[in-house]
Amino acid sequence: MRETIAIALKDLRLLLRDKAGFFFVFFFPLLIAIFFGTVFVDEGGPTNRLKVFVIDEDGTSASRSFVERLMAAPELEARSASRQEASNRVRRGEATAYIVVLKGFAEGNSFAGNPPAVELGVDPSRKAEQAMLEGTLIKYASEKLSELFSDTDKSLSSLKLSREQVLKNSNIPAAERAELDRFLGDLSGVLARAPQRANETGEEGGAFQPLKIRNADVQTHWEGPRRSYDITFPQGVMWGVLGCAAAFGISLVVERTRGTLVRLRMAPIRRGQILAGKALACFITMVTLSIVLLGFGRLVFGVRPDSLLKLALALIAVGICFVGIMMLLSVLGRTEQAAAGIGWSAISVMAMVGGGMLPLFFMPKWLQAISHFSPVKWGILAIEGAIWRGFSYTELLLPCAVLVAIGIVSFAAGERAFKWFE
Amino acid sequence: MLRISNLYKAFGDVRAVDGLSLEIQKGEIFGLLGPNGAGKTTTVNIAVGLLKPDAGSVEILDHGSPENPATRRVLGIAPQALALYDELTGEENVAFFGRMAGLRGVRLREQVKSALRFVDLYDRRADRVSTYSGGMKRRLNLAVAMVHEPELLLLDEPTVGVDPQSRNAILEKVAALRDLGRTVIYTTHYMEEAQRLCDRVGIIDRGRLLALDTVDGLLSEHGSRKVLIAETPAGEIRVPTDRPLEELNRLQAESRLLSFRLERPDLESVFLKLTGRRLRD
Repeated sequence: MRETIAIALKDLRLLLRDKAGFFFVFFFPLLIAIFFGTVFVDEGGPTNRLKVFVIDEDGTSASRSFVERLMAAPELEARSASRQEASNRVRRGEATAYIVVLKGFAEGNSFAGNPPAVELGVDPSRKAEQAMLEGTLIKYASEKLSELFSDTDKSLSSLKLSREQVLKNSNIPAAERAELDRFLGDLSGVLARAPQRANETGEEGGAFQPLKIRNADVQTHWEGPRRSYDITFPQGVMWGVLGCAAAFGISLVVERTRGTLVRLRMAPIRRGQILAGKALACFITMVTLSIVLLGFGRLVFGVRPDSLLKLALALIAVGICFVGIMMLLSVLGRTEQAAAGIGWSAISVMAMVGGGMLPLFFMPKWLQAISHFSPVKWGILAIEGAIWRGFSYTELLLPCAVLVAIGIVSFAAGERAFKWFE
Repeated sequence: MLRISNLYKAFGDVRAVDGLSLEIQKGEIFGLLGPNGAGKTTTVNIAVGLLKPDAGSVEILDHGSPENPATRRVLGIAPQALALYDELTGEENVAFFGRMAGLRGVRLREQVKSALRFVDLYDRRADRVSTYSGGMKRRLNLAVAMVHEPELLLLDEPTVGVDPQSRNAILEKVAALRDLGRTVIYTTHYMEEAQRLCDRVGIIDRGRLLALDTVDGLLSEHGSRKVLIAETPAGEIRVPTDRPLEELNRLQAESRLLSFRLERPDLESVFLKLTGRRLRD
């Protein structure tokens, strides 16, 4: 055991003295995590908000109220601007769209055939987001309507005004006018009787409600990623672990090509002790870099694990898996150049397929299916499970078991091939 | 100290070692002399348990087979390729391999110091190996091999690629090992080194041991005759002879001698006689 520890310490010392290797193992993953976390940053979460400009040309209390709703909308990053400035900035691609609340907005009446109107100018290159934006505008316009109907007096007064406007509107055919007048009259009757009915039954909500929605407090069970760094830091850890596996795998090839392995093999120790020393150094480095990276994420970006114990289990499983993969990488090439080339290619594919480069939910379904074969996918799942997915121990068992199994099989295969190389 | 019996080893169609048998006595410096590719390194690798022979056996007397890790504790090897960690210091390299050989604590520190002093690298102990010259690395290679005071040292071409000054320093260190009572197997393709250092020399070619004796024994058995070379006004005269003094008197009586010298046979001529080829062909 002392020889194994001595080999591990020697490898750690060599890693610390190799400035480029140290950078790629410890700092590169951190930079990746911070960079992508910042790219996707959003105070409310990782979802992108649509950047829009809002112009209020009506200047009434109704239009101001609507603009305020849009400004506060979590789906939008809305700012005020003049029509000219907004139009120019959308044209230059600095915003997705501009919304003009047109003059006469307050006088618009949905029941009288002249609803409140807005003008929407969308960047032609971002047409895909137009439907989403229209849906958002209708949502906030409906809120106004819903608010109106939740106040019985306001509703009755509005309906009365609507009936008058309908009867005066000669653009509406006479038969349709009569139908609308009857409908609005019946609706007024229903609303007028609502408070009395509420008193009799004891139920609240006498006012008109298009849909009653009860909000469930899901957050106590599953909060989801609290911020983009919750996603990018596990990815950063995986990049660090992959870099570590490659670095130690190549270092074993270097030992072979430079003759130090021969000297070690001539020492009064067994082959297993040599490989165990290498594996121990690799494991210690992987766990250390994970702790450093996640500790940095915790201190600076508030990346907070749900459970430290679950996180420890996930990191140990990840370590075991990639120590095995390191062993396999070390026998992929006879020379340092061949091992490095083949190793990094294999790692890139693993990372690409496993969600190490892009989150899996951005990928097509078929690629998500293939990702089951990548240890990177299971590694990220295990770490995310402990950080924000709210995994129970039972749920964490699957990714951890898969990781440990991959590690054991890879190490055994690598050790066998290593003997053959000798 | 070491007994090699009827050893065979082939790599594909190439027979690297072909029925080699020899016995190394305790306290001697034994030279294994042969050209590149003769099978010297393969023999050494089998002797330290790194390679398994196809047939035959190796036995370290009183310790058994070198395939057993415990037996390897009495062996030290300086491989032909410099087996050192460039990013570690000289001291860290020696200490690391000392630990691998089972040294610990005070003994380790003392042995490291002693080994570094022996090869004159103590003053450079804190420098990284990457800053060492080729000769210094060779000496460090030797220090690593002997840090645990092995009973048997195998030095595989320890002077390859070094300048004459460093080479001389290494040869002096190896000669000093004899004074320390160490048993050394020294492989080389430089016949001058074998002639200068070794108590006995085995001449090996194509995996076979062609001759084994003391240097004098090999020269008298297989070496060519001495050659008396005389310079006269008529030109150079070369006379092979076993009695150079008598021959010199005869030449002096026959003509005026401007100068003369005696060329003694060497192991090169022994190898030439045994194989029909020169050592460096």
